This record gives sequence, C-alpha cells and structure tokens, in this order.
Amino acid sequence: MARGSIDAPGRRATRGPAARDATAVDSSAGSLRAGARPGEKILITGIAGGQGQLIARRLARTYVLTGVDRSPWEDHPPEISVHVLDLRKRKMEDIFRTERPDAVVHHALIRHFRVEPRVRHEVNVLGTKLLLEYCVAHGVKRVVVLSSSYVYGALPDNPYYVDEEYPLNVSRTYPEIRDLAEVDTLCSTFLWRHPEIATTILRPVSILGPHVSSSMAQYLRTRFVPTIMGFDPMMQFIHEEDVAEAVAVALQSGTHGIFNVVGPGAVPLSVAIEQTGGTAVPIPEPVARLVFGQLFNLGFYHVPPGAFDFVKYPCTLDGRRFRTATGFAPQHSLEDTFASVRR
Amino acid sequence: MSVAESLLQTVAGLFPGTSKVAEDSIAEIEDEIDSRLHRIPTHLNAYGYDAFGFNPDAARRALVITALLYRYWFRVETHGIDRLPQGRMLLIANHAGQIAIDAGMIGTAMVLEAEPPRIIRGMGEYWLPTVPWLNIAMVRTGSVVGTRKNCVDLLETDECVIAFPEGVRGMNKLIWERYQLQEFGYGFMRLALETHSPIVPIAVVGSEEQAPAIANLRGLGRLLGMPAFPVTLTWPWLGPLGLIPLPVKYHIHFGEPIRFEGNPNDEDEVIAEKVEQVKERIAVMLADGLAARRSLFW
Repeated sequence: MARGSIDAPGRRATRGPAARDATAVDSSAGSLRAGARPGEKILITGIAGGQGQLIARRLARTYVLTGVDRSPWEDHPPEISVHVLDLRKRKMEDIFRTERPDAVVHHALIRHFRVEPRVRHEVNVLGTKLLLEYCVAHGVKRVVVLSSSYVYGALPDNPYYVDEEYPLNVSRTYPEIRDLAEVDTLCSTFLWRHPEIATTILRPVSILGPHVSSSMAQYLRTRFVPTIMGFDPMMQFIHEEDVAEAVAVALQSGTHGIFNVVGPGAVPLSVAIEQTGGTAVPIPEPVARLVFGQLFNLGFYHVPPGAFDFVKYPCTLDGRRFRTATGFAPQHSLEDTFASVRR
Repeated sequence: MSVAESLLQTVAGLFPGTSKVAEDSIAEIEDEIDSRLHRIPTHLNAYGYDAFGFNPDAARRALVITALLYRYWFRVETHGIDRLPQGRMLLIANHAGQIAIDAGMIGTAMVLEAEPPRIIRGMGEYWLPTVPWLNIAMVRTGSVVGTRKNCVDLLETDECVIAFPEGVRGMNKLIWERYQLQEFGYGFMRLALETHSPIVPIAVVGSEEQAPAIANLRGLGRLLGMPAFPVTLTWPWLGPLGLIPLPVKYHIHFGEPIRFEGNPNDEDEVIAEKVEQVKERIAVMLADGLAARRSLFW
C-alpha cells in the first residue's frame, strides 16, 4: 500500500513501470492484464452525451469506434459509426454480430430524474444486464463500466477516503438512485463470474466540466446555491477530460477490478460554490426538506430530497488503487476544474 | 474581532484599566499562534485545507480561546514534551473532567510547545457529524469521525492522532475515583501495530479535579440522549455557569515513546498484554506527577 499519500496534490505516487510491478494482487483489489492494442474495435454506449462524446474523442486517437445512444450525435466524426438505439432493443445484439467489438465502454446510464423512475430503473439495470450478456456471447475481451462515487452514499460515519471494499450504502438514505448501486453490483458479479473478460468498474467522484450535465455540475451552476445550514462537507471533483483519460488508461493498462477515480483533491462545499462563482444560501434542514420535497413531488424540481445528504456528509474516495495500478494522475488542477464551470 | 477578544474585553471592562493589558496579551498570543501554525508539517492544498478538512484559519480562532485558558486559567506546565518523536505518532492519555478540556489542553500544548508544532487529530464520536455547526468546527480544527479507516489514513500521512482508551468511562469518573485509570479499549493498539506508529503515553494531572463529580445519573442521561449525566458541586445547580471548571493547575507529562511490533489481528489476549504496558506506564507517570505536585491550584 502506498504510504503517506491519500489524495493530497504534490504527494502523488510514482508513475510508470515501477508502480505497476507493485500490483501483483488478486483481482478484487484490481489486477492488470494485457492492455488494449491500438486499432482494437471499441463499442461505446451512451456515446452522444457530453461525457460520452469526450470519451469517444479521446479513444478515437487509438482505437476504431462504434457508438450507440438513445439520442443522435449530430456532428460526430465520420470515422465513428453511431447507432441510435435503446440498449433494451433486440437490434442491440445485431450490433455485436456485425461490428464484433473487442471491448465495450458502458456509459449509457440515466443519471437524472426527468424520466419516470420505472423507465430509469429499467434502462439502467435491464440495459446493463443485456449488454453484459452480449459481451459474453460475442467474445468481448474487455469491459469498462463508468459507475460513480455516489453508490457509496453520503453518510455521517463515512470515513474520508472510502475504499473499494466499502459497502454500497446509497439505498439506505437515497433510494431514488439505488438502480446505480444495482448496476454496479451487477457488474461486480459479472467481474467474478467471467474471469476470461477483463472487467473494470470505474467509480469517479463528482464530474465537472463545460460538456457534462451531472447533477453536481448543474447544482453548482445555479446563481444561488441552496445548502443545508450548519453543514459544509469536504467534496472531491474531477474534470470531465480526466474521466475520459481514466477510461483510456483503464483500456490501455488492461485493468480488471473495481477502481475509485479521484481528481486533484478535496475542498469544502462552500469553497466549491465560491470558486464556481455562486452564492451559497444556507437553509435550515427541515425547511429545505419541506420546500424542495414538495417541489419535487409536484415535478418542479428534479432532484429528490435524498440528495441533500450529499451536501451534508462527505462521500470522498480513496483513489490509491487506480493510481498505483495504472499511474493515473489527473491533469486538471482543482483551480482548472472549477474554472471550467465558472458562471 | 474574534470571539475571544470580545469575550475578554467584556470581562476586562468590569475592571477599569485592565482592558489595554488584555488587548496586548491577546495580540501577542495571536501572533505566536500564527507563527507556529506556519510551521506545522501538515500538507495543505491551494485553498488552505488538508485532505481531512483541517483549516489553519479556523484552528487559529479556536486556539486563541484555548491558549488563553491554557495560559491564564489552568496555567499549564508541560514536562518532557521534547521527547516527542517526529512524524506519525499516537498520543494516549488519561481522560477525565466531565468535559474534554484535557484534549484541548494537550492540543494547545502541541501547537505552542512541541517542536515542530503539531495539530492533534481527534477521533470524534459517530453522532458528532450530525450536529449542525459542531461538525464543521470539529473537522476544521483537525478532528475526524473515529472510524478505523480515518485513523489509519491519518497515521499513514504521518499525522499525530490522539486517543483516550478510557473513553466515557474515564471522562465521567466520580471524584473519589480520580487518577484511577478505568479499563482501556484495545483499538488503539491494533492501529499502532498496523501503521507502525510509536505510542506516546501522556499523564494529565489536574484535569481529574477540574469538575468534581459526586454522582452520574446514567438513566437521566439516557433520557436526554447523552452518554452520561454527571452531578458536580456546581452542575446542574448553577445552570450553565456550573459548567465552568475549577481553575486547577494542569501538568501534562509526556512519556518516552513506546514502539510495539506484532500482528495487529492477534487475539485480544495478546493485544491486552501490550495495552496493559501502556496503561501501567501512564499509571506510574500519574503517581509521579501527583507526588511532585505542590498543590491543586498552583
């Protein structure tokens, strides 16, 4: 285990082959296999979203890409073939038959609440299940799934620096996003049941950047940002381009396991709000729950009250495993990351 | 103006002529704390926070208050603080006095008198993060929720962690039990073994008489959702004023660091033996400290 380094900038673990040798461990702790070779064929699900496009542009440098998404990607680069398709449709398997991908990057998860909960759950859980079945049936060699840090949940007794062995507690306090935890669990089970496929589950912290519309990015982009009075948890952020880079690094290193992906460090929520140009508006918790809960029930506000815990308690991750295994280091500083979404 | 300044000025206002003196001594203490906080070996990011939410500006505000108590109320004397090791360490001390002033005084001593100055990292109770504002104050001044992972991470980043293995058993002892060490928990020893951290035994003399308790109404405490409900000579009879501790003189004795080696996952019996060594060391230091003390108040 790397000593004396958690995520403090300036204390990064050494990069390169030396760091790589130190990871001859069992697959749960994240091991390395043969990495993806240039020219391999990669299928990206959810390619048309902001983050999906960034991942595609990053991977297009090295690999041959195919993408699927429920929405079209209007001006996609000509060398990438994009199919407009729902993962749950029969035709999805045809894409595996005709395109014969070597690797799959799974990013097609609905992370907002603007659709019916039933649809969201079905797209995320059933879609992932079918996708993984196709991977087995059609000889895919590697799978990278973009899960998220939120699966751990924000709880008062969370340690700073939650590691990958920590239980996925989110459904305890925030049942509306339990489908994300289910997807993650589905993928970890897959990881164990199919040792012949190099499966990587990435759990990045809150993603910020000009192209992504994560809940956290939207929250920080408002002019007056509601916070819970008397709480100011530490939070971690990562730049959208660093997330794309993490996917590339995972493919190239041939990772097999579950990995937290952290950015350049942690700051209190109040600092993040200030740095992105907003003004914090502290609201007493009972008032916030009543007002925002009602607005959510009436459909005027798209974030369920369970999300409040994420601005009350920390959900900060230990990123050592990924860093040690692959040498990954975020290229964007906290200053850059905040500046990228400053209003 | 800081809370400490306004508080002190109010008090000083009651005694004409002392206001100027109070202002000067506060300015002096602020400068001293400032210069010492610059030298702590804790790594801060570009925004002035360490990886666990510690922030020197917030710590400075708290330290001005504790430093005044340290200098003028408890007139703390330290013994053997030059024995402290560098880098990671686990401070283990006796715990008493109904409110955790002992932790505050050790923390203040570590900033004002240790070389280099250190921030002690407390292991907070699990309910503390749920209390508005208190959770922020706890984290900004260097403490964290007392989970095993937090403790290991802090020690592995070479921080100075403090633990009171007596826990509430020590905190709420009655006056006739003073300086009788209660049962020690074993957790600290496993953490020291796992992270190869030296243990610094600490004996605090004075704290155990600061709020002489004559009873602990546990049932009433449970009703109020508190771990204990002590009855002292002044509490609850005098209301909030009854919380003010007696101006006893504090002596903080730092022992030689002890290094243990072994398997952190050994059975309790093996760990208990090592824990007993630390407990005995502190008991001896307490006995020596009590014998050397001239009086309760000076």
